[in-house]
Amino acid sequence: MFGYIVANPDKLSPDENQRYKSCYCGLCNALGARHGAVSRVTINYDMTFLILFLSSLYKKGCTYGRERCLIHPVRTHTFWTNEITSYAADMNVALAYYNFMDDWSDEKKVLSLLEAKLLVKENKRVAEQHPNQCSVIGKSLIELSEIEKSNELNPDVPANCFGKIMGEIFTFKDDEYTQNLRAFGTALGKFIYIMDACIDLKQDLKKECYNPMIMTPSANFTDILNLLMADCIEKYKLLPIIQDKKLIENILYSGVWTRYEESNKKIEKGDI
Amino acid sequence: MISDPYKVLGVSSDASEEEITKAYRKLARKYHPDLNHGDEESAKKMTSINTAYEQIRNGNASQGYTKNYQQNTDGRSNGSTSSNDPFGFGFNPFEGFDSFRRGFGFHEGDRQQRSESSNFDQVKSYINAGYYDNALNLLNNMKDRNAEWYYFSAVANLYLGNKITALKYAETAVRMDPDNPEYKRVVNHIQSGGRVYQKQSSDYGRPIVSLNKLCLGILITNMYCMICGRPC
Repeated sequence: MFGYIVANPDKLSPDENQRYKSCYCGLCNALGARHGAVSRVTINYDMTFLILFLSSLYKKGCTYGRERCLIHPVRTHTFWTNEITSYAADMNVALAYYNFMDDWSDEKKVLSLLEAKLLVKENKRVAEQHPNQCSVIGKSLIELSEIEKSNELNPDVPANCFGKIMGEIFTFKDDEYTQNLRAFGTALGKFIYIMDACIDLKQDLKKECYNPMIMTPSANFTDILNLLMADCIEKYKLLPIIQDKKLIENILYSGVWTRYEESNKKIEKGDI
Repeated sequence: MISDPYKVLGVSSDASEEEITKAYRKLARKYHPDLNHGDEESAKKMTSINTAYEQIRNGNASQGYTKNYQQNTDGRSNGSTSSNDPFGFGFNPFEGFDSFRRGFGFHEGDRQQRSESSNFDQVKSYINAGYYDNALNLLNNMKDRNAEWYYFSAVANLYLGNKITALKYAETAVRMDPDNPEYKRVVNHIQSGGRVYQKQSSDYGRPIVSLNKLCLGILITNMYCMICGRPC
């Protein structure tokens, strides 16, 4: 369910590309520093977007650094971090933890339990620091799995539930922006959930497992997804985003479609 | 309506919810048009399977999540909608739709029988007052689901932010009564935002690259398991 909110690098200037990559590397760095090397592999692009978005809204500067990492051991590369990066790293760990636990309780994947065990201590620390976010993530994922178990046919029901999780993660602190931020995060979460369902439909049909879009003709998928993104943009426009505006809009108007376009291409080629 | 929905799914009428869902998924795997290259026969078959399954689930209203979900959240959602703010966002998410709502009062479903239309009068006043949950509850208890029912359900769902349901119901209303301009107007209204976005999005240029151009290393590790290093 994660890693959908990415940029379209083809439409970014070299500077913007660099800014985006270093944001991602900053998150990776913060994960390693705060939660241990093992947590680094749970990194996802959605949390990179969270950093860009909140840093822009709260006009946060950043500190630059250079490092070598496992993935790029030869070249050193630049990264940037700020207090939002730390927050996003914490949310990243909480999401990964609950996601593993969820896989364990739903599908009894032993591996997921082991992976969750690796994060249990880190997650506890995160939960103490961000009780609101973590209790919403935990409760909503349980609710979501109940909805899915009951084979709910109305896609709005599970999408609203998943939206709640993203909505809560976007509420970095309590202030004048909280309500609009939550609304924006919720709308984005709904889009992510439904897009994931659209992409997975064929596989879910074959595996005979739950998919909320099973009764919707796939010819309508694009229209529905456009509708959900339109909702998200409506909420986005209520927030004063200036810093990295082009980068953020690249993601919201173009990048979010990357995985969807990719899966459509595979279908055309007959890979799925 | 299908006279014997259980027969369509090939289960006995005393089958459990779980068995019915299992049978439905099995049939969906066989007949879903996406797995049959858009074959018309299987599409037709799938439609009747969907109808049968929905019919059984609607009949067993005590089962399924929707019902429980609405009951569980009743207190909260009622509280927030009374302030015309269904999600507690602190603003009306449908600002600018006021003209839509104002126009709403003028439309009377006079062609329907009196008894039904008095039911819809109540629904209408709930919607005008911003009590969308109450409107939906009232609608869900109605047995006769005609075009007008789908129209009102679409509007109530739209205000609650359930856009997928709203679109589906509004389209159903148009299908059942293609001559009613109001139904078409609602479909148009729901779709208009999506169209504006789609235009802006395609002006931007939809992504044509594959994802791994972004940062090859991490994405690969992401698909692999943390422990064994194999995809799982």
